[in-house]
Amino acid sequence: MASVPPSPKTPDTPHPDTQWPRWEVFKQDAPQRPYQAVGSVHAGDPEHALLTARNVFVRRPAAVSLWAVREADILTATPEELTTHPERLEQAGPGGTYWLGIKRTHKRSMTYVDLVGSCEATGPGDALRQARDAHPEALTWLVFPDAAKVATDPDPGTVESWFAPAQDKTYKQQQHYGTIGRHVGELKRSGLMPARATEEPHLGTGVSGPGPAGRGDEGSEVKAPGGQE
Amino acid sequence: MSELPEALRGPLIARLTALADDEIVLAQRGGEWTGHAPILEEDIALANIAQDELGHALLYLGLRSALDGSDPDRLAMFRDPGEYRCARLVELPRGDWALTMVRQFLYDAYEALWLQQAQASRYAPLAEVAQKAVREEKFHLQHTALWVERLALGTPESARRTQAALDELWPYTAQLFTPLEGEAELVAAGLVPDLARVQAEWEALVGPRLFGRCGLKRPGNSEPRAGADRATHTEHLAPLLLTMQAVAREVPEAQSW
Repeated sequence: MASVPPSPKTPDTPHPDTQWPRWEVFKQDAPQRPYQAVGSVHAGDPEHALLTARNVFVRRPAAVSLWAVREADILTATPEELTTHPERLEQAGPGGTYWLGIKRTHKRSMTYVDLVGSCEATGPGDALRQARDAHPEALTWLVFPDAAKVATDPDPGTVESWFAPAQDKTYKQQQHYGTIGRHVGELKRSGLMPARATEEPHLGTGVSGPGPAGRGDEGSEVKAPGGQE
Repeated sequence: MSELPEALRGPLIARLTALADDEIVLAQRGGEWTGHAPILEEDIALANIAQDELGHALLYLGLRSALDGSDPDRLAMFRDPGEYRCARLVELPRGDWALTMVRQFLYDAYEALWLQQAQASRYAPLAEVAQKAVREEKFHLQHTALWVERLALGTPESARRTQAALDELWPYTAQLFTPLEGEAELVAAGLVPDLARVQAEWEALVGPRLFGRCGLKRPGNSEPRAGADRATHTEHLAPLLLTMQAVAREVPEAQSW
């Protein structure tokens, strides 16, 4: 394909995001448990964000409540970012009640930001400062105004139709499904599968084996390519 | 009711099969959007809804299995179009996003209301299934109602497409409320909801929403496009089943898929 000439108007603009606004989703697994940031969805409005969040994040696991917060209403920082951008602690915005979240560890692949409480703040920068002071050991701080969140209805009807069905569903591990033909493990045990992908026979027919006699030689240590045919 | 009178067995099997077939075929239509929906989140959402509908089909066919020993997988994958008992509404091609959402909305409203009433069935296994499935169906209804409203009140283009979808689908809805042979006896015995009552509730639910809140026009042509006969189908069912059943029929020895 011919290369596209750079646009003279916007040489440095990043790709425009043509999607709807992004909402961060916070999920509560059980009453009294902290809300956790589990991911994000694109949605056109608050109600749509919650419905979409339920579909994306609560098909299987347990949940009793969801919050969605527009990306633009969230302020985050890592300790490293605060050394290079200390002005983030001064960021102005609406005063009031703010929620504070922290990420504690990198250890597992699925570690979330937990909401650890709320505070009264004069703005997002002030809330971020309070989060940092209360949790200096955190890897990331996250704050947003309580007024910016939308939450699922706590009434029993909503909990029944949004969250209860997921509890009855079992997540099927891969091995639940039957195998057509012979299982890979069985082939390996009977020596029909090369033990390692880097072994020479995998390099293809154009690559020579240990010698002219190697190919198709039953006694050879290296099996010829196409041996399964 | 612990003992099902023999005379009611056939009609109940027919109703359960009709319910299951509607779900299977609609789920297949929903599944066709996988990888093609307007945004990733809705792709996932519609796949979820389709999987739930398939789950409901399994519940209905499980009830049928208890009555006649049939195998749900065999019924789904090895029956020909002529043996399917789905309504014509669910067979129609998926069309655009507006048609998909309007159809799902009309269907979800019907199913949620049917299940709502079926919770009081005197056939305990059906009441139990209804209690389970109605929860999900209410959520589906919220999701599709949201979409229909946003499309109807969105841009002139989305409003035009939504009205066109409604005009096309509306005449097919009557078939959902047409009793099957012997269904009156099931209703009289308190086993299944009275479809006339479900229809009245459905009209009261979808009417004000579509023609009031969403500002859509009531379709002029409401002459039913399908009658009671669920054995006659549109030309769209055969190709759908061909795709859906291909793997099962090619690999009949598969244990599960």
